[in-house]
Amino acid sequence: MSRLNSFRELEHLRQQLREQRQNITTTVMVCGGTGCQASRSRAVIDAVSDELSRQELDMRVRLCVTGCHGFCEQGPVMIIEPGNVFYCHVSPEDAFEVVYQTVMKGEIIERLLYTDPVSGKTVRIMSEIPFYRAQDRQILSQNLNVDPCSIEDYIVAGGYSALARVLTSITPEEVIEEIKSSGLRGRGGGGFPTARKWSESRAVPGDEKYVICNADEGDPGAYMDRCVLEGNPHLVLEGMMIGAWAVGARKGYIYVRNEYPLAVKHSRIAVEQARGLGLLGDNILGSSFSFDVDIARGGGAFVCGESTALMASVEGKVGEPRPKDVHTALDGLYHKPTTLNNVETWANVPSIILNGSSWFASKGTQGSKGTKILALTGRIKNTGLVEVAMGTPIRTVVFDIGGGAINGKLVKAVQTGGPSGGCLPVDKFDLAIDFDVLYEAGSMIGSGGMVVMDEETCMVDVAKYFLTFLQDESCGKCLPCRLGIDRMLEMVTDITDGRGRPEQLDLLEELADTVSQTALCGLGKTAPNPVLSTLRYFRPEYEAHIREKKCYAGVCKALITYSIDPDKCNGCGVCLRGCVYGAITGSKKQAHVIDAQLCQKCGICRSECKFDAIQVV
Amino acid sequence: MLQYINVNIDGAIIHATKGTSVLDTAIEYGICIPHLCHVPYLSDIGACRLCIIEHVVNGRSNVTTSCTLKVEEGMVIMTSTDKIRKLRRNLAELLVAQAPNSRAIQDIALRCGVKEVRYPFRNEDCVLCGRCVRVCTEVWKARAIGFVGRGKERHVDFPFGIRPDFCKRCESCIQLCPMTITPCDGPMKPGKERLCGNCESQLIIAEQTPGSCVWCKLGEGFACGRYV
Amino acid sequence: MPPQTLDQILEGRRSQPNQLIEVLQDIQGDYGYIPKEVMQSVSQGLGIPLIEVYRVASFYKAFRLKPPGKNVLTMCMGTACHVRGARLLLDQATVQLGVKQGEVTPDGLFSVEHVNCLGACALGPIVSESGSYHHHMTPTKLRKLIETLRHQKTEAHQNV
Repeated sequence: MSRLNSFRELEHLRQQLREQRQNITTTVMVCGGTGCQASRSRAVIDAVSDELSRQELDMRVRLCVTGCHGFCEQGPVMIIEPGNVFYCHVSPEDAFEVVYQTVMKGEIIERLLYTDPVSGKTVRIMSEIPFYRAQDRQILSQNLNVDPCSIEDYIVAGGYSALARVLTSITPEEVIEEIKSSGLRGRGGGGFPTARKWSESRAVPGDEKYVICNADEGDPGAYMDRCVLEGNPHLVLEGMMIGAWAVGARKGYIYVRNEYPLAVKHSRIAVEQARGLGLLGDNILGSSFSFDVDIARGGGAFVCGESTALMASVEGKVGEPRPKDVHTALDGLYHKPTTLNNVETWANVPSIILNGSSWFASKGTQGSKGTKILALTGRIKNTGLVEVAMGTPIRTVVFDIGGGAINGKLVKAVQTGGPSGGCLPVDKFDLAIDFDVLYEAGSMIGSGGMVVMDEETCMVDVAKYFLTFLQDESCGKCLPCRLGIDRMLEMVTDITDGRGRPEQLDLLEELADTVSQTALCGLGKTAPNPVLSTLRYFRPEYEAHIREKKCYAGVCKALITYSIDPDKCNGCGVCLRGCVYGAITGSKKQAHVIDAQLCQKCGICRSECKFDAIQVV
Repeated sequence: MLQYINVNIDGAIIHATKGTSVLDTAIEYGICIPHLCHVPYLSDIGACRLCIIEHVVNGRSNVTTSCTLKVEEGMVIMTSTDKIRKLRRNLAELLVAQAPNSRAIQDIALRCGVKEVRYPFRNEDCVLCGRCVRVCTEVWKARAIGFVGRGKERHVDFPFGIRPDFCKRCESCIQLCPMTITPCDGPMKPGKERLCGNCESQLIIAEQTPGSCVWCKLGEGFACGRYV
Repeated sequence: MPPQTLDQILEGRRSQPNQLIEVLQDIQGDYGYIPKEVMQSVSQGLGIPLIEVYRVASFYKAFRLKPPGKNVLTMCMGTACHVRGARLLLDQATVQLGVKQGEVTPDGLFSVEHVNCLGACALGPIVSESGSYHHHMTPTKLRKLIETLRHQKTEAHQNV
């Protein structure tokens, strides 16, 4: 394939590629994302590939290694079209059967089908799986059928037509107007109106401007951006190109965090391929638009998700945020106007251009338009990536899509927005997924992380967890963040260790308020949110830790005791053998006993016991 | 050619030089805004957050540091509202609980209205104000010391912890360090830390004439803009 | 991919201070840590003061300043892994190996580190070892993994 010099040549290529695939009758899609690779999907891919060659089906059957489909616990995941057949937990040994039975004869292999944990029945079609059915997968569905390392796949699927339309018939100002009417707001956590950011940069005179894709995704428990960037890097690139055209930038960077090696690799390949076709470089598609992109890797710092710290990192410096009295849209990378947006924000742009702003604005609420990808994890049956229209109640996500709590426990809370967000109790689950609604309630959508917690999660421990995380990630420059988080953590640790005093709760709130108002950057300003929201909704748990010295969720080691229920214990001895501290004694077939003095509450006995006899009180 | 613009600080219309910071302007006109990491001839980093003020824009007030905010025509600034004083007091409380073993830090705490310290005292010998690093980098350009590590581990050090031969022992870093100013009653031993609360000149600013410069000893030893 | 020499890593990047992090990434990938002498060469090659190179190397968690153990066990401490008991895994590893986080065992075989989210949240808790992700880990499974790794290395030594 050679360089495309016009919009017409792009369409011609698209036509050509589609014709080449006319003889394909079946497509076998196997997920090669990070999650499924951890479940050894590479071996599955190789096995299926070998089998297809052996059966000489290469011409009629297309094996497509795709990106993540968001249902990682079911991996390795395989989808077969036509028929939308969904196989999960596929192993390399299944390859022969899959090719012979399903591909060649169209027969379903029952044991590879997904079993709905709620109904107990198998489901054959992907779109009928309850997890997928209740979603609105505008962006994530584009991961189907596209090999992230193949620009041809992207073009066959209609890719780069939004860019072509923009370059041939839409002015930069019109692009910004369209984004404005769509109501698109930043998907990285800030929720800032995207069009406003773009027009600020556009208005600055000069031709040295930058666009940046923030793929730092540091929120623990969030992996939406990984999925989109790994699975469909061209979608993100196309969005960036359209944005660069709109603001007048000629250079862009995709800043990918160090912990996502596959996303780095796929982005690099995508950029190379785009350059090869002339979709990046000078005079793209024969227009006056010249634009190129480089990949910059993070160094392992959550604070680099903050825009000024990210830019410092691209410049090769430490990721210390700068005061933002002047917006980075005006004074950003190398002190030039810089438009920084999140992966998901960029990914939404091409479809807004193709389908129109009213299409986008028809979904969602008054203040929050479109769809949002959420990373639904924690103590529920179905964990994974979920895309829903804004305005969907939390309840729908946790129960209809998530399937409710595991192991018959009760859901207690949901944590949204990562370390900058907060915890909402079950009685707030009718709240809609909406930027302003969640913010009012003391949390936020953030980047989309949604961790479900049950009765065995201690909310004070959750606050301690986030403070520990933030202390680890704070750059340390400003006093309120460095010392404030330290002292908040000191107090919360006192509480979890049984040294809490009642006056500490008020001091915690006062300090939290001070830090949120005086910190230099977003990390510090939002650091108190986990503490404030857990105090707001779960104060009784704090008080129980302080006054009664009890952790009812059974988590805080200083306040719990491990013991064996003599009624359930049958003396099998597994725990005794497993205990490295020699804390368990007992004779064969007799109920065993834990010595509380020696017990270190490491949890090994509990994870080993098949009779649920280990109690935590 | 110097350009002048008018800014409103605490109700007073001040003739400020364009391009200067709100903090520099206030100090020049005798309005005392407490600060720690600011030194007149070094760059401003906004790290200590003590110089915070309220900047009123479109009916909303933003809390921001005056050392990093440049003056603009018609700007409205309030340096001593109840909100600011409470925030500053809490920040100074954190500061003195961390490093009480310095007269400068104790004076700052008193100046900011700290009456009690509700956290267990520690006895650190660096407040990470960055004055030493900046003077070595910006004035002498020796780059012998710098900030190393992150968050709680952040500290000032030589490369690899070894003094390089291009450090000429000029001792500018020591001269600017607030921790070298010993408390009036002598150094505070570990376990014996306390809030001092004695300095008269600081008490005067804090209580009697809040916000006005009284040519205090803290400023004199501290490279305050009024003196330099 | 065979490790590159320092010259190869610096090629095309000399006198470009903004390449510092990329250069350090490559060095970390090839050497396993950033040696002192290498930092000095980078300082000269890129034209950045030594203290600045040291500062960047000590700021970002991706860079180690000391050689790691032969097996680096990295525990994911993300929120999803945390609510599934990741803390217990960290305790298990540090107690079983007798080292604190970031330290190397006296026999040089193991070091324990943590990372704040690998992005494989549905499969947590995750322990990563030499780039492979072990998912749905429990303290028991981790204990067995450590023993297996220890055994492999001792066997390899004996065979040599």
